[in-house]
Amino acid sequence: MGRRAAVILALAALSSAGAGAQQPAASSRDISGFWALTADGKKVPDARLLPRVTRAMLDLHKRRDVHALRWCNPVGVPLMMDSGTPIEIRQGPTSIIVLNENSLVPRYMYLNRKHVSADIYDPSTIGDSVATWDGETLVVDTVGFHPTHGVTSIPGGGFRTDKTHLTERYRLLKNGEVLSVVFTWTDPTVFAAPHTYEFRYRRLPPAYEPLNEWPCDPYDETRANFLGDPAPFGK
Amino acid sequence: MTIHHPNRPIALAAATVICGWFVAGAVHAAAQTKSESLTGVERLEGDWVRVDSSGSGDFGGLTSKFTPASLTPSGAAAMAEGARAAAVARGPAFAENTRHDRGQPYIVVSRPCGAGPFGGGVLGTNPDSGAIHFVVSKDAIVLAPERGGARRIYMDGRKHPDLRTWTPTGSGHSVGRIENGELVAETVGIVPGVVTAGGWRTPETHLTERFVVSPDAKHLTIKYRWDDPLIYQKPHEYQYEFDRLPEGSYALEYWCDASDPEEQQSVTPLQ
Repeated sequence: MGRRAAVILALAALSSAGAGAQQPAASSRDISGFWALTADGKKVPDARLLPRVTRAMLDLHKRRDVHALRWCNPVGVPLMMDSGTPIEIRQGPTSIIVLNENSLVPRYMYLNRKHVSADIYDPSTIGDSVATWDGETLVVDTVGFHPTHGVTSIPGGGFRTDKTHLTERYRLLKNGEVLSVVFTWTDPTVFAAPHTYEFRYRRLPPAYEPLNEWPCDPYDETRANFLGDPAPFGK
Repeated sequence: MTIHHPNRPIALAAATVICGWFVAGAVHAAAQTKSESLTGVERLEGDWVRVDSSGSGDFGGLTSKFTPASLTPSGAAAMAEGARAAAVARGPAFAENTRHDRGQPYIVVSRPCGAGPFGGGVLGTNPDSGAIHFVVSKDAIVLAPERGGARRIYMDGRKHPDLRTWTPTGSGHSVGRIENGELVAETVGIVPGVVTAGGWRTPETHLTERFVVSPDAKHLTIKYRWDDPLIYQKPHEYQYEFDRLPEGSYALEYWCDASDPEEQQSVTPLQ
């Protein structure tokens, strides 16, 4: 994939939008904390999609997304990184876990190890994420996405498939009060060029207490009627 | 407490399978920090699976060997009322448990994947056969059971919240400290429910857990102690045993689609 291009794009975004950013604090290699994403924290350009990606394909994924939400399926990446509630990140010596208040399924990033062999990895909505520190930046590389499970649509356009590769670059800004995450998606069946966008999360107070229940009930008829479940489609 | 679920055998099998898979997978994980190199409470970091340490055949058999809880009269009454209320609340979730003709398919769980029983990280205080994953960060330790939810043990010195304003959750509110290199967690605020070996809990019930990692970091014992003078005549204690999964293991995603009719039916058991 175009990792170099992603780096360049990420640096460009940081230099243009983060002119006032201060040097990270000494603990800049620990992104643990509670993080909130607000409307002014998202810079998402339109994705450049391949001609083969038709409106019908995009609509199918949107319908699947509604189905996944309606039936309380694990949503996975990318939605859990922007699902309307704060995310919690906890970084340990060998792994990082990302928790979302309204999702039952956490996301794992494994530090300093290689991807699990594709021969045995069970594709998932979160994929197989491995992470390494590159200076002050945590680089997270994810493959192994399930092509249909969860919410597959990607911000800015397109969708993930089993051929999708995601690179994320996490970096603390403003003395650790802001977490920048630059997402770069590539997929030879979806994108004409690497699709890069940036989220900037604001750190919540350390004493923040997250909701700890899963508020999704597929048998809530009022909710189900509101969401609907579009026409059947092949699973 | 034993949590029954139609996919439980799958989770157990999966845990067993990944043990086997990643003995080989560990070969490719040379750069990863080894659990043996961790110190203190960080040795909890990683992936664990509960084991039947006494050859009981299943966890039900295992827990039947625990010393039963000594309930007070009010505790026994609370447990009976709680069980009755739970059955009402559960409604049609578990459709039938009556006998059927051999080979006759029937719906075992009519509302799978619903809001529970794994919400709120309840498996974090009572792990079942699914693997459980520990992430030890500076200010909190997260326990993530493979079949959903997460539990936090805050290590930043915070106090428990006022239970009058706290909404009880499956795993309650936990704060931890380190004693002799071991994690000790104190928990309150758990939703009412059954406790292993004949116990009961309310949000006011106090759970103390001690997490003991073996010197080789391959084995974990969690010692549970439930205190509540309204429920127990004496503290209710038992312990669970866990083995560490091989280096390179990863968390399987628990997938349950409530819209899938296959989730509602079970292979007809022998009658």
